[in-house]
Amino acid sequence: MKRGLSLQAALAAYRPDAELAPVPELDDPDTLLNSYHPDHLRGSMTKLTIGPNAGADCQRELADLLQAEAFIDEADLAGAQVTDTDVLVVGGGGAGCAAALAAAERGARVLLVTKLRLGDSNTVMAEGGIQAAIEPGDTAQQHMQDTLRAGHHAGDPALVAAMVGDGPEVIRWLIHQGMQFDQTASGDLHTRRAGGMTAPRIVHCRDYTGLEMMRVLREAVKQHRGIEVWDQSPVVELLSNERGQKCVGAVLGSLTDGSMRIVRTRSVILATGGLGRLHLNGFPTSNHIGATGDGLVLAYRMGARLCELDSFQYHPTGLVHPPHLYGKLVTEGVRAAGALLLNAHGQRFVDELQPRDIVSAAIIRECREGRGIHTDTGGVGVWLDTPRLERSQPGMLQQQFPKLLARTHHVGIDPRLEPILVHPTLHYQNGGVVIDVNGATSVPGLYAAGEVAGGIHGRNRIMGNALLDIIGFGRRAGIAAAAAEHDRGPKKITLEHVNRARRDLTLAGLPLTQRAPRILPAYTAAGKDIWKP
Amino acid sequence: MEALNINLLHPQQRVGENMSRWQQAGGGTALRIATKDTAALVPTIKDADLRGLGGSGFPVWRKWEAVAKEAANPDKYLVCNGNEDEPGTFKDRLLLEETPHQIIEGALLAALACGINRIVFYINPDLTRSLAALKGALAQWQDGELLQLASNALGKPVKMELVPGSTHYIGGEETAAMEWIEGRLSAEGKFPFPRGKPPYPAQCGIYGCPTLINNIETLAHVPAIVRNGAEWFRDLGIGQGAGTKLYSLSGDVLHPGVYELPMGTTLRDLIYVHGGGLLSGKPLKAVFTGGPSNTLLTPDDLDVNMDFESLRERGGSLGTGAMIVVSEGTGMVKRVAEYARFFAHSSCGQCPPCKTGTATISRLLDRIDTGRGTAADLATLETLCRMLPGSGRCHLVNGVVHLLDSSFQHFRHEYQQALK
Repeated sequence: MKRGLSLQAALAAYRPDAELAPVPELDDPDTLLNSYHPDHLRGSMTKLTIGPNAGADCQRELADLLQAEAFIDEADLAGAQVTDTDVLVVGGGGAGCAAALAAAERGARVLLVTKLRLGDSNTVMAEGGIQAAIEPGDTAQQHMQDTLRAGHHAGDPALVAAMVGDGPEVIRWLIHQGMQFDQTASGDLHTRRAGGMTAPRIVHCRDYTGLEMMRVLREAVKQHRGIEVWDQSPVVELLSNERGQKCVGAVLGSLTDGSMRIVRTRSVILATGGLGRLHLNGFPTSNHIGATGDGLVLAYRMGARLCELDSFQYHPTGLVHPPHLYGKLVTEGVRAAGALLLNAHGQRFVDELQPRDIVSAAIIRECREGRGIHTDTGGVGVWLDTPRLERSQPGMLQQQFPKLLARTHHVGIDPRLEPILVHPTLHYQNGGVVIDVNGATSVPGLYAAGEVAGGIHGRNRIMGNALLDIIGFGRRAGIAAAAAEHDRGPKKITLEHVNRARRDLTLAGLPLTQRAPRILPAYTAAGKDIWKP
Repeated sequence: MEALNINLLHPQQRVGENMSRWQQAGGGTALRIATKDTAALVPTIKDADLRGLGGSGFPVWRKWEAVAKEAANPDKYLVCNGNEDEPGTFKDRLLLEETPHQIIEGALLAALACGINRIVFYINPDLTRSLAALKGALAQWQDGELLQLASNALGKPVKMELVPGSTHYIGGEETAAMEWIEGRLSAEGKFPFPRGKPPYPAQCGIYGCPTLINNIETLAHVPAIVRNGAEWFRDLGIGQGAGTKLYSLSGDVLHPGVYELPMGTTLRDLIYVHGGGLLSGKPLKAVFTGGPSNTLLTPDDLDVNMDFESLRERGGSLGTGAMIVVSEGTGMVKRVAEYARFFAHSSCGQCPPCKTGTATISRLLDRIDTGRGTAADLATLETLCRMLPGSGRCHLVNGVVHLLDSSFQHFRHEYQQALK
């Protein structure tokens, strides 16, 4: 990487009122992506050798986890307490809560288990908003086209159609749950247009939409009599029937006392979220501490098909400075509101409202080619030009992005006066567990919803579709799981799928030393030594 | 390895529904031989020492002879029992899928030997692929030359029917099977309750007619015996065993699957040579034999020949030839509790000792397994083990008790450790 300017020099050279040259024409987005997007880094991809996706491309660090040995053995199940329920929801974020509520509304007994606490999730970090085609002149069709195009047409049209069709209903349901959205002066829902969209479609609550959403979901879940919540109870393995072909429950490990508990159920809904905390390719992440890709590992071992395991979203504007906030998110809403990106020389280099993968690749190009801004602590980035935005619309930052101002205020930066140093941060897993429109995976009894599921966003997600996805598909999975039929005969719970994976690993000559799921990042105190070496 | 899949699962036999390929491989010759001298069939089978491979190990010729002696009233029935539903047993479904014609020919040979004119293929409806293969195969026999040949030799038309089973485990018991089939043939709809014995099916079976019931694997062996002679068949076995046997290997082994091996192959050969050894190289802890309604084998039994006599001498049983391998690190109480739950659920409920006995065993085992059991619970289980055997019309309750008793014998310490 060529060295650009130091933070001090760049700051000294920065003028919020400088004349800007127009953005240079982007001749070929594919070349840009191929040369600079982290998915295309040399050596970051490998091929899976076992499981339903054998032969498919997969990010190397993820592949190691997907092809790892299970945490537990039959011996760990001896003496474990058994709990019966109708639907087990794994994950306490937005998708998990939506699924639990939908299943409980239909009379199912629901047990919601979460690794940390209810609401500890990436949902609370979603700042920008939620998409729904509700404006006059906008249509679900347009929403669908935008989603598919931004995803490089790798998304499943049936899933996208289901999601965009759910949009207005999802907003209505959220309002009924008590969620607040920003309104226009006349009382309509206020919308924004963001990267990759043909119409304003983002409904939002300031710049803490996800937090507000989680607030109401959490209250609704806590209040519902049909839902029991177990905190600090990560799933360490799923359970299968005696042929290893149907998911019939899960083994929970307690983070408080280390004990194992067995849950027997008709259906399991995985809503475990993403994997940012695996820090793929050494990138920082915007994700919360529990985002370690457990759902992918569990589903894959159970035999569920996954998709787009080589495609991840790096959000263009993660904070670089100060170091302890490295990777934390600056919402795309700021760019949607008009903020520009400038390199060390104060030049624009990309249309800021291009889809995220293109903007990220462009920022990485600037940094690698010596037009980046370097901090003393080894960080590098470009400017997000907030002072210029403030000059053109005074007071707008304060009014629309209070969370951003509060966060930067704590560290002595005022975005109204100085630009923010940003660099792409690992943000979202584009692919995941293959589902149908009911959230059903390729394994009977196993459902997936939210970030852990794939096929909706193709190879790149646009802003606001994640919150729509988790509520829409969360509810769909909850409804389908509650309707799942009881099995004939006695419930037999086994680890046969683990045996199958062990056989495959042995036959493929892969080591049985690495264990997965990860549960917590290895750099946390608790994550170093969970249950077994 | 050269002894693997030499007869029933010989690659030439595995042609599926394709009748002409089966005939090219010698299919149908046994039937042609037999029609010339039907009286020779029972002695041949007796000579070959063919056993009931559905689990009993009962000499086949004795059943055949009994049915052959009876007068038709007005019919005689053959039930080809494919209600395979035991945990760990998956051999008949493979035979039905891959060699349906072999089974049909075997059934016709049995019919010729005993003077049977109605053949019922009784198949577990959950085995959808087996059901489809057999259906396709049967369609090719109807009005065919071979069936005509058999009818002529018998002196009256042979009728072959396919009756899907009840999906109940108990429906595999021979009298329960007859009860269900009667219900299906007359569209009355009966639950497959086992009947009391005697009278035995050979005297009074379906609609009071003499009835022969044989397992699918048993019948599949017959054509090759008729073709190649009894001596050839006997020589295939090792030691006291005759012929070959399908072993369903599952559990913690590297290569689970169905292996046709000489009757009397050792457990060691099955697990370590054919099964590829245990997963992750763990030590062997136990083997649930013949489906869980039988006894446990331990590493001490690795070199015992797996035939009916040798295992009986060890106090065990070959059963259906299912071998569920369990490695060190598996909790035996949990495993046995699971099987007990299966039996408690499968009990038809007509005999009170079985109905309440299996349920009580299951409940007590669950309690012990989850750390809530007491020494009194363990003592109750042991009392039940002495009380229950033989108290039901069929063998279901004996099965649970055998397994439980066997696990007490070898793994008593695990039960005691789990007590409160």
